[in-house]
Amino acid sequence: MALADASHFDRLIEFLRQKRDNVTFHDIITLAEVAAQSLQGFFQAMDAKVYGELREIAGYIESMRREIGVLQVNELKNTRIPSAGEELGAIVKATENATNTIMECAEAVMAADASDPAAYKAMVDDKMMVVFEACSFQDITGQRIAKVVETLQHIESRVARFADVMQAKDLDGFLTEAERARAERKEKFLLNGPQLEGQGHDQKMVDKLFG
Amino acid sequence: MAVDMTMPILVVDDYNTMIRIIRNLLKQLGFEDIDDASDGSAALAKMREKRYGLVISDWNMEPMTGYELLKEVRADPGLNKTPFIMVTAESKTENVIAAKKAGVNNYIVKPFNAQTLKTKIEAVFAE
Repeated sequence: MALADASHFDRLIEFLRQKRDNVTFHDIITLAEVAAQSLQGFFQAMDAKVYGELREIAGYIESMRREIGVLQVNELKNTRIPSAGEELGAIVKATENATNTIMECAEAVMAADASDPAAYKAMVDDKMMVVFEACSFQDITGQRIAKVVETLQHIESRVARFADVMQAKDLDGFLTEAERARAERKEKFLLNGPQLEGQGHDQKMVDKLFG
Repeated sequence: MAVDMTMPILVVDDYNTMIRIIRNLLKQLGFEDIDDASDGSAALAKMREKRYGLVISDWNMEPMTGYELLKEVRADPGLNKTPFIMVTAESKTENVIAAKKAGVNNYIVKPFNAQTLKTKIEAVFAE
């Protein structure tokens, strides 16, 4: 919207019409005064407009600050996400330990001398007990996974609310070069898996494709 | 053609647990000469030092994937006849087709059992 119109400059134009020749220092000062008075209205109108727009921007920034605060990014960054990472690390470790224990038992049973049936049975019983104990990892990892899922839901709900309020639109591209390189590698070498149930093929279907 | 139980086999996977599982399954099937590598480039180096009768490889590994390993092997005149089985969780059509085009001999989807491994090895050597 235009802040000024021709009327702001009427006095200035009239002064210049009257004074075309023999310009003195006094004329110049008068011209400056007339110009200042002519533009006063223009600047007042502009001040009000700019002030209104700045208030609007300030309001938007304040609302954005509030929404960012609701996101609780520091809590997510310093507590929730690192904690979820630790839980996932513990899950990997627990499953790895349990798998190794179970495989050691299986290898011991397979390699055992079965010539003395009583001794063989006692050894197998011992190893089976160790296998049962190792399987208890599943209870703990289930609880750890539930905590990670809760964190993801927490993040999801806050990010979804933020995106709605800010009417966020996604930009194309990648945040970092490493992110771009990972995406390109996945695409180039067809690194899609593992697939969830129903998204990939089972062995029978693969055999058909292969045949 | 009967399977040569004395042939050296190279198992390629970045998870020690999976290498251990495949190694045990192969031993149960009667194979004794089993080596392993943790990615495609390590496997390629081993293949250039020792002649393997069979390669059993995962797909998703770093830095070199099993898919790249397969293509490298098929492009190398000294290695291109080596039978190659992909054992992977990559079970999309595009993966199976790409592996087939690259010259894989068979394709096993994880998780798998001993019988599947046995059947696929026999199928490769029956070709």
